[in-house]
Amino acid sequence: MKTFKQLYALIEKDIIAQLRTKDMLSAMFIFILLAFVILNFGFFEVLEVIKQNPKVVGSVGGLLWVALIFAAVLGLNRTFVLEKDEGVMDGLLLAPFDRSLIYWGKFISNIIFLLIIQVLSLPVFILFFITQSFASQAWLLIITIILGDLGIVAVGTLLSAISVNTRARDLMLPILFFPVIIPLLIGVVKLSSFVFAPQSNLVTIRVWLQFLGVYDIIFLIMPFLVFDFVVED
Amino acid sequence: MKSSKILSILTIALVPVFLAAIYLVFFYAPIEASLGFSQKIFYFHVPLSWNALLAFTAVFIGSIGYLRTEKKSYEIAARAAAEIGLLFTTLVLITGPIWAKPAWGAWWMWDVRLTTTLVLWLLYVGYLMLGGAVEEEGKKGRFSAVYGIVAFVDVPLVFFSIRWWRSIHPVVFEFRSGGMGLDGQMQVAFFFSLFAFTLLFAALMMLRIKIGQAEEEVISLKEGS
Repeated sequence: MKTFKQLYALIEKDIIAQLRTKDMLSAMFIFILLAFVILNFGFFEVLEVIKQNPKVVGSVGGLLWVALIFAAVLGLNRTFVLEKDEGVMDGLLLAPFDRSLIYWGKFISNIIFLLIIQVLSLPVFILFFITQSFASQAWLLIITIILGDLGIVAVGTLLSAISVNTRARDLMLPILFFPVIIPLLIGVVKLSSFVFAPQSNLVTIRVWLQFLGVYDIIFLIMPFLVFDFVVED
Repeated sequence: MKSSKILSILTIALVPVFLAAIYLVFFYAPIEASLGFSQKIFYFHVPLSWNALLAFTAVFIGSIGYLRTEKKSYEIAARAAAEIGLLFTTLVLITGPIWAKPAWGAWWMWDVRLTTTLVLWLLYVGYLMLGGAVEEEGKKGRFSAVYGIVAFVDVPLVFFSIRWWRSIHPVVFEFRSGGMGLDGQMQVAFFFSLFAFTLLFAALMMLRIKIGQAEEEVISLKEGS
């Protein structure tokens, strides 16, 4: 019970700090909108072809994930900035609780921020890129987003705790983060292609859901083992 | 200095070993019937890639060792292995397309092996960049070790995900139920070449660890004065 109270306090701190300025959330949202526009012009003619071909129409889901992952890096970069620059980390390390709670607090607040961004940007994505109704597959989209977010934030929070301590900081996180996230990207894009396509293959969907589940489990266990070494001083 | 003696013997031995490997590959092993002369590159390509994987496994083991014991020697060894693994992976990524252009008609295809190897290369470039971007000594070792573990876990994941995504890879050195899908003379050339590159890996590893230890010594001497 005490642990939950401590965790709640950590999350509350992040949310209050975020609501005060809102700069990260608004930047991420505008970034995603810009990414949609850029991706549209980058793949203008490809998208025209895709829209007319029911076999590959689902692949527009890839655009959503490209935009989301780039925006996620933007937010993840800020995860430990206050901790580092304002000396919050020293206070947290002195506080009498298990150090992995620092990770889980950040993990949950990052999930919340990413979900807020997705709730805001998903309708825009559908408006811009989706022409057919996919209501019967909406459940799959929700599961994909949840599994995707768990992986992105689990890996990203761990690596941002590392990158904030490096000389290049903001430049370091994408370089560390993207190669690790590639398997997850493959999975979520594959699943999204079933969401936005007229027909889906339940067997294949199950394989990819399991794959994402395994990815998430691995990278949710990993912080338990290594996070202490990252914050140790 | 016992290890330095082993290193000099190893280095000298590499010269005849590689000459013999080149002889076996180009003169002893027959020309492959369907692929022709271009198949010869596999005697270099495959041993390099196996040794690269060996090197990255060494990074993983060294990283765990460092986190458990905080011994500097583990950090030095892990870093050495990462550099050599990255060098070998780079050579794999260069020799592959040289063969692919005549065989497939394209330098690059988004194939299982190719993509996995590219991701591997990117992961360990990140690993080395991370080491270069952290100034404090203890942190450098710990961060590198954590990323060394994360990177190693990612490789099988990439491998399996792409395998399910689409599997169209020509396997040249295929292990069949009755042994390898290779002619006897080709097997000799291949395994000798594998031996030569493994020896090269061992020699480079020892040399790089020695350099790493020398660097440490310089730092501690500077701090001492």
